[in-house]
Amino acid sequence: MPVEVILPKVDMDMETGTIEAWHVKEGDLVRQGDTIFEIGTNKAVMEVEAPASGAIRNIMTETGVPISVGTPVAWIYLDGEAGNKPPEPAATAAPVAAVASRPRTSALAATEAPAFATASGLRATPLARRIARQHALDLGTVAGTGPRGRIGEIDVRRHLDQRSRCAPAEQARSAPTPIASTSEGRLQPFSAIRRIVASRLSQSMSTAPHFYLTSEIEMSAARDLLGRLAARHERIGAPKPSITVLIARIAARVLRDHPVINASAEGEATRFHERINIGIAMERDGDLVVPVLRDAGSMDMPAMTREFARLRDGMARRTLTPAELGGGTFTISNLGMYGVDSFTAIINPPQGAILAVGRTVDKPVGRDSQIVLRPMANFTLSSDHRIVDGVAAARFMADLREALESPEVLL
Amino acid sequence: MPSDTLEAPAAIRELSYAEAAREALAQAMEADERVFLFGEDVGVYGGAFGVSGDLVHRFGTDRVIDTPISELGIAGAAVGAAITGMRPVLEIQFSDFVTLAMEQIVNQAAKIRFMFGGKASVPMVVRLPGGSGTGAAAQHSQSLEAWFAHVPGLKVLQPSTPYDAKGMLLAAIDDPNPVLIFEHKLLYKTKGHVPAEAYRVPIGQAAIRREGADITIVGSSIMALKAQAAAERLAAEGISAEVIDLRSIRPIDFTTIAESVRKTHRLLVVYEGVKTMGIGAEISAMIAESEVFDFLDAPIIRLGGADAPIPYNPVLEKAAVPQEDDIVAAATNLVRRGEA
Repeated sequence: MPVEVILPKVDMDMETGTIEAWHVKEGDLVRQGDTIFEIGTNKAVMEVEAPASGAIRNIMTETGVPISVGTPVAWIYLDGEAGNKPPEPAATAAPVAAVASRPRTSALAATEAPAFATASGLRATPLARRIARQHALDLGTVAGTGPRGRIGEIDVRRHLDQRSRCAPAEQARSAPTPIASTSEGRLQPFSAIRRIVASRLSQSMSTAPHFYLTSEIEMSAARDLLGRLAARHERIGAPKPSITVLIARIAARVLRDHPVINASAEGEATRFHERINIGIAMERDGDLVVPVLRDAGSMDMPAMTREFARLRDGMARRTLTPAELGGGTFTISNLGMYGVDSFTAIINPPQGAILAVGRTVDKPVGRDSQIVLRPMANFTLSSDHRIVDGVAAARFMADLREALESPEVLL
Repeated sequence: MPSDTLEAPAAIRELSYAEAAREALAQAMEADERVFLFGEDVGVYGGAFGVSGDLVHRFGTDRVIDTPISELGIAGAAVGAAITGMRPVLEIQFSDFVTLAMEQIVNQAAKIRFMFGGKASVPMVVRLPGGSGTGAAAQHSQSLEAWFAHVPGLKVLQPSTPYDAKGMLLAAIDDPNPVLIFEHKLLYKTKGHVPAEAYRVPIGQAAIRREGADITIVGSSIMALKAQAAAERLAAEGISAEVIDLRSIRPIDFTTIAESVRKTHRLLVVYEGVKTMGIGAEISAMIAESEVFDFLDAPIIRLGGADAPIPYNPVLEKAAVPQEDDIVAAATNLVRRGEA
């Protein structure tokens, strides 16, 4: 068994300590008694000695962060144990990509140890190894989520699942990249959400031929309307409406007249959706989340504003159900508040289009032979060319412009 | 055949574990006059744990014999009687006292058939009340079954239910070789269905007490019951545990364990005897050596007795052997992939 190196209690009333610096690096051979790291308490910095002789592995690399006393911060593999020998120089190049995909299971098991991923040094259960053999799968490419990064059946199954679901993406990924062959930088494994986003968007880009139409639209009327709506909402006790909700409201109304934009490619057919469910792209802790305004086509502004507030709140509290995050038929992504002028978005499959909204900014425009300042915003529609043609998308954009420039007509 | 696969009778006939063992003794003595009982206080007192009860009044002092306090003496007499064709059933008052009878059981009873080329055999049964939980301290609370399971020539049983207490005792009396039955002291008063007829539970067959998919928990005697109670709680947490009651330590039903682990991919072995060099080590090694190794998705975990004499203090006594909570915690950890 490898010997655990724990964060020791070096002070009477010490509950946590920080690792100030490591004196060794992953894979180094140490002798019992060698100084391996410095520990900081609220009073002093002290040196910690190796409790055994062997190869140091699975170093917890975070320094300067408080860690509970007793937490394992590294392991020492004794002579003859798997993982004791430093990898052969030749072996390091190939399996590196493998290592790059091994996540830390928790702060405790954190490892940035590329050199550790030789076949013999992998931690995997017999069952995981058996299944990998059956599928000719290199375990080095599998992320272990068990204790100390151990690969279990569930990890292999998940990996195989993913491989079969996005086979083209997998091929691209398996090519060794020279960048990954260094151990520089921080390696953060995908969150569950990021995994889904990555796989869905790759699928979208590789199966749906995208094309993009941009319109610069004057926002004076929409702004005025937003101001009046704000006053009205205050009177009736509804939340303050945002420009995003207003755009969603107007887009939903316009979509009614453009069923092909509110549609999905399904095999060799187009699925026209009865309902208009508008997804609004949002950010939570660095993850992309898209809650859906269900049946947005039949909602008035106060109802939609309330629903939007509820979804945003549910997202922050992580109480949204998968049903509330799925079933969208059209998506709006607004990055205007970040000062983005215009951008193109990737369609959220299986939807047929997505609307990217840039910031509203006063610009000189020609009106009645005069140059005047008007609040203008760029709207870019990404469409799936399998079901939407240029003209159909252009008609939608024309109606969207008209609706945004004279919203009263529609609302 | 596992007991729970028998058809349910029209009316449940409930007996305690002690009554079930007594019924087995009475039926064996009625059917075969070579069967007789031997032990300290098995006569008019009815046995230290009440197993022999009124048998002395039914069968007389020639067949229910109170012996002097000399385990070596009575074990030797039993071996001699068995060689001459009798069917002695010996009670060691507390299994701890069997240390005094080791020479006769290990060096004589277990070896004679082999050393005489099968011309002699020792059809004796030794009943041994064992286990902790009664506040009887270190010299009256041990679980020594693993000692005997180490000896070729002996069979070692650990019934956990009244049904098995009767059926396995009858099977042991039929057996032409020495059989040791460890009866847990805390089980004597437990009740369960026991058919009236003289039935046998085959030696060497484990019982699957509960089917499950996520983890196999192997136990015997009282630990099989604790494992079943733990499995109920685990089920409430969404963990499906398969519980195997070994019933027989030697011969051990490796097939049943292996098939289960092949299905669940996880193994937890629970036993009251001292963990070190115990039954759990043997089962773990058998799995690790077999082709089932390739189906393990987690380390094999043993829950065994502490490496210490059983304490007298009741709190410490409990802490020294695995309890239901320990089983739940260990199984949860294994299935949920905590640091094992």
